[in-house]
Amino acid sequence: MSERKREEHTPGTPGMPRGWVRHPHERMLITPLVAGVGGLLAFFTVVAIVVWLPIHTFDPPPSSDWAPLSSTALAGRNLFAQNGCYVCHSGYSRPQDVRESLYFLYPKISAPGDFWGSDQSPNLLGTERTGPDLSQESGWHPDDWQSAHFYDPRYMDPRSLMPDMKSLFSNKQVDQLIAFVEQRSGKSGLLRYAGQLYAKHVVLVNQGFPPPYTGFQGSHKPPLESNDKILAPPKNQLEEAPNLAQIDRSYWLAGDPLPVTEANLLRGKEVFLDRCVGCHGLKGNGSGPGARFLSPTPADFTSADDACCGGDTGPGDFYYRILRGWPGTAMENFGDRLSVDDIWRVVLFIKTIPNGTLKPYRNPEPNDYIVWQPSKELLAWTKSHQTLPGNISFEKKAIKDPFMQEALRVMPGLAPKDRLLLNDGKTPLSLRDAANGIKALYEDMLNRAWSDAKGRGEKLPPESQKAIAPTVPGQQ
Amino acid sequence: MGASPFPDTAAKHWILSSIIWLTVVDLFGLVLATEFVTPEAFSHFSWLSFSRVRPSHVNGVILAWLTMMYFGALFYMLPRLVGTRGMWSERLGVICAWAWNVMYLLGIIGLLTGHSQGREYGEFIWPIDIALLVIWSANIVNILATVAIRTIRPIYVSVWFFIASPLWLAVDYAIGNVIWRPGHVWGAPSGALGNSLSDAMLNWWYAHNLFGLWLTPMLLALTYYIVPRVTNTPLYSYTLSLISFWGMAFFYTGVGDHHILQSPTPAWLKTIAEVSSWMLLVPVFAFTINILGTMKGNWDRFFTNLPLRFTMTAFFFYFLVNIQGAFEAIQPFNKLTHFTNFVVAHAHLALLGAFTILGMGVIDYIVAQVYAKPLYSRSLSEWQYWLVTVGFTGFFSVLTLAGFQQGFSWQEGIPEVNVLPQLHAYYIARGIFGAMIVLSGIVQIVNIGMTIFTNTAERRRIETLRVAEAMAPPPVAG
Repeated sequence: MSERKREEHTPGTPGMPRGWVRHPHERMLITPLVAGVGGLLAFFTVVAIVVWLPIHTFDPPPSSDWAPLSSTALAGRNLFAQNGCYVCHSGYSRPQDVRESLYFLYPKISAPGDFWGSDQSPNLLGTERTGPDLSQESGWHPDDWQSAHFYDPRYMDPRSLMPDMKSLFSNKQVDQLIAFVEQRSGKSGLLRYAGQLYAKHVVLVNQGFPPPYTGFQGSHKPPLESNDKILAPPKNQLEEAPNLAQIDRSYWLAGDPLPVTEANLLRGKEVFLDRCVGCHGLKGNGSGPGARFLSPTPADFTSADDACCGGDTGPGDFYYRILRGWPGTAMENFGDRLSVDDIWRVVLFIKTIPNGTLKPYRNPEPNDYIVWQPSKELLAWTKSHQTLPGNISFEKKAIKDPFMQEALRVMPGLAPKDRLLLNDGKTPLSLRDAANGIKALYEDMLNRAWSDAKGRGEKLPPESQKAIAPTVPGQQ
Repeated sequence: MGASPFPDTAAKHWILSSIIWLTVVDLFGLVLATEFVTPEAFSHFSWLSFSRVRPSHVNGVILAWLTMMYFGALFYMLPRLVGTRGMWSERLGVICAWAWNVMYLLGIIGLLTGHSQGREYGEFIWPIDIALLVIWSANIVNILATVAIRTIRPIYVSVWFFIASPLWLAVDYAIGNVIWRPGHVWGAPSGALGNSLSDAMLNWWYAHNLFGLWLTPMLLALTYYIVPRVTNTPLYSYTLSLISFWGMAFFYTGVGDHHILQSPTPAWLKTIAEVSSWMLLVPVFAFTINILGTMKGNWDRFFTNLPLRFTMTAFFFYFLVNIQGAFEAIQPFNKLTHFTNFVVAHAHLALLGAFTILGMGVIDYIVAQVYAKPLYSRSLSEWQYWLVTVGFTGFFSVLTLAGFQQGFSWQEGIPEVNVLPQLHAYYIARGIFGAMIVLSGIVQIVNIGMTIFTNTAERRRIETLRVAEAMAPPPVAG
């Protein structure tokens, strides 16, 4: 259209306001059609690249660590999604997380294949870490810790910001959620959980405790008690031996490296009040608000010659249990949260509790400290069981079998040749037994999850994927 | 008292609903802020649990408050821009407003009782998604029909966005919520792709485009209307408007993956997201220059005209959020700030600092126009402005600092729970600043309510007379 012709037509254009001057950029004039259809065209062009293309080209195969969810865990996953848990807990660990917090929280980097399968839908990647990432959470805590924590997170960690779930979930729903948390981390998580379950079995049998309550029942039931009558500790074996089997033996006789000073004790008390009172109680007698959920119940530090200061449990044992946790009990690993010196300070402080140092306004003093003397029996046991040959603590041979690796993680105090009996007098305990037990638990859980997934009609990888052995990331 | 020649019934319904929702969703935010300080504050009410209120807050801000405000403003501005006597169907607009209120109310009840799809920003369950899309489509029909019957043939830049943006969002919402896979209709899993990582990529593509293709273009459209209108100055440049429109369409659509930069998703998609996030600065700068050019010589009105002050404050925060977002979207910075409160601060910079403050000004402007009378109280408007501006600035600052605290601590390998005690003071400050923001919304409700229900024109006349009397020279004796 020539310039002249256009000018001629301008005045007659219907709807053109009077005095309208044609804009020099008329060629780029946007009409409703250009805005609407053109806008959508631009939109769909980009959509083809950033939505259609990745969805149709990115389909990573299941990773060797991938495992399906059991149907109970899947029900828990749906509750997790429906109640918005992902707004505070992300669902993948990043490369820098593993570099920065390899110790416990994030033992492995999430791989694309970890998210294979339709039981991982909807995605729960999340964008916020008000709480920790949960992709690697399986197996770090036993089920009874989880139910107490769901009931009121402050029972288990007084610092926690997590909302309590007591008004949200029924007993059954909590158990589904726990199943999800304990099974969501793939095979390596299942292996860790199997280790936790096996250790729970060992601890309950050894100490004569009944199994813990399920769901939220612990909130209105009396604290569980150990039944001494069924215990018949084997002769010729240290009564504490099965418990010591869960502590690296180089710690059995270790003393506290810090001096007993008022400053150290005071810091120990501070940390104790900050972290430990949910279970061990404000009086240190093992009856904190969370204790009723737990089996075995938390340790009582108020008696001078029992779990606190006498017996065959020395400062090194306390240190090790705080640092690495006590698998099978609700005792967590505080190694990623407390400094080495703070842990030793807590150990110092614990051994002043029988002298009333937990009373308000009472500063612990060095002369409140009760010095521990190893018993003759312990010294004799150590002599026969801490020899260099055959002792895993002094050998750094790589162990290939993941189940043996996991057995060593939960039973680090056992030497390969050790053959113990638990205190019921009949259940054997050795590394081989532990590895076999863990393997059986692991395979049972994996098989059940596979058959559940098959029953749900989900697409599954070839059976050979199931047979790939699990790994113990970040541990060995 | 003069009367407006436009009916504006649809605009009134959407706008007045939106200011109520603003306070409701602000109160949700205050509940969340309280729970950060005392997690057991509402522990007996399962429906006030943090994890259920948080999606209600987020969805409410986007879909109840901002969307209703935007549609209200659109129904007000569109007839004036295209030269029609109101919308094609004011009645349809009113019906849609009521339907939208009911839809959102049901959605929120669902979220608070644990009926959610469990996909961030796409939490509403399938029936609500469908209802939303139906109402949305009706609005699109209304808008396109109004444009079709226009008497002014060339369409102003705001109208480009009024046409394109609802279309973009409808498609974005439908694809992003995977509405063709209803699944378990009443809860999870539904509305998600079967492949988890594909679902995540789709989820974040969709979620970012709620802002990129709806909230932001509408902010541009409203600013393009308000600034020239209030300053009585033609828009600075047509070419820059073109750049801001097409730049937005091309660069905003592909940035979503920057929300999951360290996740196990394809690297090339992350690269596109990072590059697009920087290319976005092209339309942003085009828009910025365009508005600053229009404001040239008009800055005195920034101090005297409140709607303009709200708009330009929002404009400043909008510029800031884009600069901040561009840095946040690249790997080195993202590694530090991702998962921390820095992201929460960024989100509030956009949704509160830019969109909400703009909305408050636009509502003050529109209400005065459609009721054809002055606002009830200038000083209430001033209170509203300063409460939200100071409240937001404080809120943003403490969350940014808290985010750095978290990021640097995590970088040293300190786990999340050990950082919590250091965040406590920030969380308390966030609650206090948040309360100022809630108060600002309530002040607006009071001001608008009093404007509607009292004769402010008469009030203004009497005030003026009083001033005139006070200023009049004393009567001459004799």
